[in-house]
Parts: sequence; C-alpha cells; structure tokens
Amino acid sequence: MPRFDQARPFLTLGIVLLAWLVLPAAVKRVARLSFYEFQAPTDVAASYARDLQEFWSQKTRTKNEVIEAARDLARLNASYELRLQDDARLRAEIARLEELLRLPSYGEFRAEPARVVRRDFSAWWQRLVVRKGSNHGLRVGSPVIHGGGLVGRVAEVHAHTAVVELISDPAVRLAAVFDGDDRPVSFQGGSNPPLRPAEALLEYVPLDVFATPASPRRLVTSGLGGVYPPGLYVGEVRSLEASTDGLFKTGRAVLDPRLGRLTEVTVLVPVDPAP
Amino acid sequence: MAYAPRTSAPDRPGSMVESHRGYDPRLWLFYGLLALMLAVLAGGLAYQQLGRAEQHRERETVQSQRRVVVPGPRGNLFDREGRLLVGNRPRFAVTLNLDELRTEFRREYLRVRRNYRETGDKDLPTAGQLERLARVSVVQGHLQTVNRILGGRERVDAQALERHYRQARILPFVLLEDIAPEAYARLLEQLPVNSPLQVYTASTRFYPHGRLAAHTLGYTASDDDLAVDENLPGADLTTFKMRGSVGRQGLEAALDARLQGQAGGAIYRVDPAGYRLQPALEKRRPVQGGDVVTSLDLDLQRAAEAQMAENGLAGAAVALDVTTGEVLVLASHPDYDLNSFTPRLTEATAAEINARGAWLNRATQGLYPPGSTFKLVTALAGLRSGHILPDSEVECTGSYQVGGRVFVCNNHRDRGVITLPQAIEKSCNTFFYHFGLQTGIEAIAAEARLHGLDQPTGLDLPHEARHMLIPDPAWKQSRRGDRWFPGDTANVSIGQGDLALTPLQMACLVASLARGETLTRPTLLHRDPPVAQAQPPDGLPPAARAAVFAGMEAVTNTGTGRILQTPRFRVPGLRLAGKTGTAQKATAQGTLNFAWFVGFVPVVNPRIAVAVIVEGDTPGEDVAGGRYAAPVAGAIFKAWADKNLPPPEAD
Repeated sequence: MPRFDQARPFLTLGIVLLAWLVLPAAVKRVARLSFYEFQAPTDVAASYARDLQEFWSQKTRTKNEVIEAARDLARLNASYELRLQDDARLRAEIARLEELLRLPSYGEFRAEPARVVRRDFSAWWQRLVVRKGSNHGLRVGSPVIHGGGLVGRVAEVHAHTAVVELISDPAVRLAAVFDGDDRPVSFQGGSNPPLRPAEALLEYVPLDVFATPASPRRLVTSGLGGVYPPGLYVGEVRSLEASTDGLFKTGRAVLDPRLGRLTEVTVLVPVDPAP
Repeated sequence: MAYAPRTSAPDRPGSMVESHRGYDPRLWLFYGLLALMLAVLAGGLAYQQLGRAEQHRERETVQSQRRVVVPGPRGNLFDREGRLLVGNRPRFAVTLNLDELRTEFRREYLRVRRNYRETGDKDLPTAGQLERLARVSVVQGHLQTVNRILGGRERVDAQALERHYRQARILPFVLLEDIAPEAYARLLEQLPVNSPLQVYTASTRFYPHGRLAAHTLGYTASDDDLAVDENLPGADLTTFKMRGSVGRQGLEAALDARLQGQAGGAIYRVDPAGYRLQPALEKRRPVQGGDVVTSLDLDLQRAAEAQMAENGLAGAAVALDVTTGEVLVLASHPDYDLNSFTPRLTEATAAEINARGAWLNRATQGLYPPGSTFKLVTALAGLRSGHILPDSEVECTGSYQVGGRVFVCNNHRDRGVITLPQAIEKSCNTFFYHFGLQTGIEAIAAEARLHGLDQPTGLDLPHEARHMLIPDPAWKQSRRGDRWFPGDTANVSIGQGDLALTPLQMACLVASLARGETLTRPTLLHRDPPVAQAQPPDGLPPAARAAVFAGMEAVTNTGTGRILQTPRFRVPGLRLAGKTGTAQKATAQGTLNFAWFVGFVPVVNPRIAVAVIVEGDTPGEDVAGGRYAAPVAGAIFKAWADKNLPPPEAD
C-alpha cells in the first residue's frame, strides 16, 4: 500500500495526460485559448506597469531636458509635416497615373498603433505580443510596420492582445523586390540566434542583380503577394552568390536592428479586405 | 523450525536418482543434438551477420532508398560581343508533396468509406477505388487552396494523379505549371512555409530575341531519359528522373554535349509504401552546362532579317568574316518564334510552321541553281586555264549560237565589244557562253570542286545539305544515261542547268575569292584571339584577280547591283564588290525566279563576305538579284560599316 501511495501522483499525472490526449480537438483548442486569455491580463498588467515605470523615470528629468526634448520634437514634427505634404502630393500623382493607365489601386489600410507587451525571441521563432487584439479590429495576416519599415504580420489574434511574427521568423516568407526592380524574389526569415543581428534568406534573385558591401541594395515589399502593401523597407542586401544551377542568385538580407527592441508598432488593418 | 533430513524410501521402487541414472545416455544424445542445433543456429547467425553483412546492407539500401535526379540547366549562348542569344528562364510550378499527405489520405479514405456505408448502398466501391477517390479528394482540397489564392478554378486530373501515385510518388505532383511571376509572388506570401504545397522552380529555355536566328540557334525538346553522371551517388538505387531537355536543332543540337547541364539529385529513405522520408540522406545540386560564345553578330543578323522580312519572300542570308571564316549572319526566312518551343510546341503551332515551309534552314539546307553568281567560277576557271585573260573581249550581239540552238544574252541586249570586268558588271551571258565553251565543262567543274562546291562546308550545324551538284559529262552519263552537249556547258557557264548549291557554299566561295584562297571552313564558334583561315592559295595571278574584283566593284556602282549606291544602303568611302544572279527553276506552277547576290567589303583588304538568296513565289514575276537580294546584303554591309568603320566626320 505505501508503494502505491508513493506512485499516486505519477499515476494521476499519467491519467491527466491520457485524458488530454483523448480529448476532442475542439475542447483542447478552447482550453488553450482560455488559458491564453486568462494569462493575457498578467502580461498586459506588466506592460502597463512598465509604462508607469517609464513615466516615473521620465519625471526625474530636469526642466531643461524636457525643454530640449520638446524643441527636438517640434523640429521633428516640422520635418514630418513637410514629408506629409510631399507624401500627399505623391499620392495624388500616383492616383492620377493609376487612373490614366487604368491600373488597379492597392487596397487601403487603417493604421492601428499598438504597444509591444512582450518579445519572444529564440532560435525557433521571433515574435512580439502587442497590446491590441480583436477588440481593435486586428485580423490574422495584417501587416505590421514601424518607423524603419516592415515588422511582420499578425499570426494570432486574441481579445486584447495579438501575436506578431517578425520577418526574421523562419515561418515568415514574402515576395520582396529590390528597390528599382520589379521582379519578385523570395524572402524568408532565417534561423536567428538571440543577441545577433537578425538576417533573412533570399532566394530566386535574378542573375543580373548585384549587391556588395560597398554598394548594398535595399529590399522592399513587392505588393504582389496580396498581404503586404508595396514599398515597405524590409532589409539591406550586401552580398549575393550565384547558385550552381545558374538560374538565380541567393543571399542574405540584414534586417533593421531595431526589430529586437521595438516598443511600439503599427498594425495595418485592411479597410476593405478581399472577400 | 528443525531441519529434518530427507531420507529415501528403500521400499519405494524407482526413486528420482535411479530414474535419471537410467536415462543418462539418451539425455546426452539429446544435449548433443541440442548443442549441435544451437551451434548451427549461432554459426548461421554469425555467418549472416559477419560474412554477408555487406550484401544485406546493400539489399536494405536498395529496398529502402530511392534516388531522385534533377536536370542541370543548360548553358547559355552568346553572340560574338557577349550579348545573350539563348538563356534560361525560371519556370514556376505549384507542386504537392504526396509523402506529407499520408495521414490525410487515410482519414479521407475512412470518411469516404463511412459515407458510402451510411447511404446503405450495397454496391460499395472496392478498397482500391475508395483509396483513389480519397486521394483525388485530398489533392483537390489542396488545389482549392491554390485556387482561392490565385482566383482560379483548376481541377485535379485524376488519371495523371493516379499515374503519378503509382509510378513516381516520391516526386512532387505538379498541380499547376508555368505560373506567372505575380501568381508565384502571391503563393510565396500566402502559402505557409511548411505546407505540402510548394512553388517548384525549374529552368526552361529562353530566347530573348524570339525569331532571330531561329534556324541557327535551334531549339530543345523534353527528354525523359536524362543522362546521369556516373559520379552521382546511388547508381544502384531505383532512380526517378525529372524531365530534362535535349537539343533538337541548330546549335542547341550541335553543341548539346557542351550545353547540357550536370544533373543533380538526392537520395531519400522511403517507407514500405514508397513514401519519401525527409530529410534527404544525400543531396547534390545540379550544375549549369557550359556557356558558348557564338560567332554570330546580333546587329548584323538583325539587319539581315529585318530586310528579308521587308521583302516578305522566302530566302536566306549568310555573312562570313573573310579572315577567320566565322559566321556573322546565318538567316533563313520564313522562320518561327523559338519561344513557342518552350515548354513544349503545340500541334497547332507545328502545323502552322509546316504550312509556311519554315522548318527548312534555307541557308544550309536549301539547294538552288546559283544563276549568274556562278559566272565568277566560270571566270576563275577560264583565267586559271588561260582561256580568259584579264583583257579578253567578246562582241555581244544579244544572242549566242551553240550548235543548232540560240542562247540569248541577259535582257537580249546588244552590248557590243565587252571585256571581263564589263561582262561581270553587266552580267553578260554571251561573254560566259563564249569563254565557258572554250574553257570546257571539265575545267569549270574542277574549279567548282577546287572551291569545295561539291562538298558540305562542315559548318557546326546538323543536317547541312549533302546533295549539292556540280554537273559534268560523267555525272550526266551515269545519272541520265545521256551524253554531254555543248549547250549543257553553256548553261553551266552562266549558273543554270542542274547546278545546285547552298547559300552557305556561295558565301564560302566569295570569302575564299576575297582572301585569295581556294576554300573557307566556316564556323559558328567565336575564337578569341581570332584564328585566321589557312587554306591553299588559289594561285591566280594578281592581274586576273584584279580584273574579277574590278568587275565585281562595278556591279555595285553602275551594274546590276547599283541599288547599293542608293542613300539607304550607301556607306560613304566604302568600296563594295558583288555579283547578282537570277536563276530559274521549273516547278509545277511554272518557272520561278531565284534572286542572288554575293559580295564582299571592302574591296581592298576584304573583311566580310555575304551571300543572299530570295525565292520568288509567283511564276513569271521578275524577282531579280539586284532588286531583291542586293538590298539584304546592303543592309548587312551597312550594319557592319556602322560598327566597324569610323564615322565620316572622324576623317
């Protein structure tokens, strides 16, 4: 009897595991989601606490520091205002040309800024959790950007949070183009160990595209894949090698180092999603 | 508990000890047999494990491993300036890895079977039929994913799927072939990375200039029996080969061994059902075939073909580098778009090419009577034999009587006293009737043979014509059982009769004449540094050659080829030499004219030699060499001069 008593916890664990295995898939899915939703407030609360902590740390700054920061910000705002005007002019020109050439215009997106709650980087996946979810209209597959270009796409949406797969994640693949070229190349996140600059793999690069460390090439989204709008900065390519089959080149793209320390991103939610 | 020793009961018969003792000999026999059997078993096991281990390993390998061979892309073809003539383009296809669908197939099979049972239908399909239904259903489900992304309505070809499943399930099953780059981009972005659906990339031939030099460059066809390098591992394994390509015509065929890529491949372990287990045990990437720099000049070829297309008539043009014999232009019209051969030629396109008579490479396979261009050979034969001197004269009265037959001169014109250069310039038949008869057919035929006109040139293209004809009395006797008449000699003297030569041969003749040699061995391969032709000299006195050249130059200035001095073709400062010809051929529809032009530039230190033929297509139509063929040569000369001569301002 004493021996059985000692084995009871293991037996219970075994029974629970067995029960979990034979449970219907739908029940498992609900259980997993419920667990996530229960756990989410902890992450969100921690994120708010970090914000508060940051707020109080900012409060320790002197008036002079604040005045200088406000002045810098005002200058930045002025330059952005100028860029916005340029942007509006260019948009109008693009719309005019599209109308002239009867080209289909790309779908519109609504920008939804979101704070980063948690970063989850490992050799296996590269993800962010953001503090907005289905209650803000986020959808799976929505592109996510930041000031430096493309961040990734929304992989999971929960009520108040969403998981974003970074473009450095091996599970993310997109059709990119070199700036000034319209031929799509395959871009896929690489196996990026932590604490190293993120890189991605490039395949199917046409043979007449060249990139060297001295003259790197910018890589942007093609807009052809139907997920990401065109022209978003993806990374920089510093070398390309011809593959032995002589058809294409392959290479690696160096991604924006800010991807690893993002605190705020913008989710592009399609206004009129494709049916 | 006290120990109580056991005591035997003497009064009990057959105690255990006694019993064992009684069976001892038989037991030993049994033990022996058992030991022997065990020894045999152990020995057999040891023999199998140690002695035949290698054989078992090989059998296990052969049974459980499969090799997939992938063709290497073909090498590229460039023109002499390194411009791409033939390359490869990626060909994207959507494929489905069946080995990743085992569970889905099983689940679908059970679902389909359950559905049938629930309907209560007693006429249930067999297990095999249910499996096929399940496979089609699963594959169609994945194709629906592709349809949703691309907005298509594709259906699975059930027969193709079944054939693939039975014969090559280790290979990915192709759902959609040759998809557009936009579709490729959509799939790339929207298909999960680990999906059994993948975008497969293969290479296919790409001809950036479409129809240009179609007959020369040639085309490829798919090849199911891909040649595999002996060094590729897994030679003893069951091998599945992806479809490759093999050169069928033109340089693609002639240089196939050089252009053919080196096949790559992978060895996979398979389960008992033949499904592939990832990852590959061994992998080797295919290697592209060797590149070839051809002697063709893209600009000259383009100029020649544009002018031929303007004529709208069938024909051919050849241009050679006089010094090296490298072929700069080899054009044949009508032609076909080489891109229509990739990925494969449709029956409708093949029929259309056939109807236009475009398969024939007229430059190397077309046999034509050379017409008045052959007068150059007659002149050379006469000069060599001494029957013609540089200052020889004949009075042309517009006709010439040979035996009982009157031969007319060109346009029946009465030209008066005429010299060799003038005879070439005006293409006077009377002069060549007269001196052709004096020289004799044997000497004329020998001169033609000396210049290799009775043999293929040996150009590095397949299917060059071999039945060219230089008629002589022996040929006529053997072929027609008839004797040779002086009228036959008169006919041959002006390039009519049974003479049959290719435009390439005529280009070689002119290049040899320009260089002062007897032969030209043309090549389509560019050599750097250039290798000059070193053929036997023609042995003509300089004065004789000068007379011929003077006549040829006059042709392009004031003679039958004077169209070359019109503003469209004239190059200031460039002296041209040429000879026109118009041959007749009797056909079922009537007599057709063939327009010729042969020539070279510059007259001093010649660099490029040209031969052009244009076929008339209407009986009685005056398709003359000066009007139809000379402009094609003029376009080539002009394109050459634009590239190779300094502009007039530079002087």
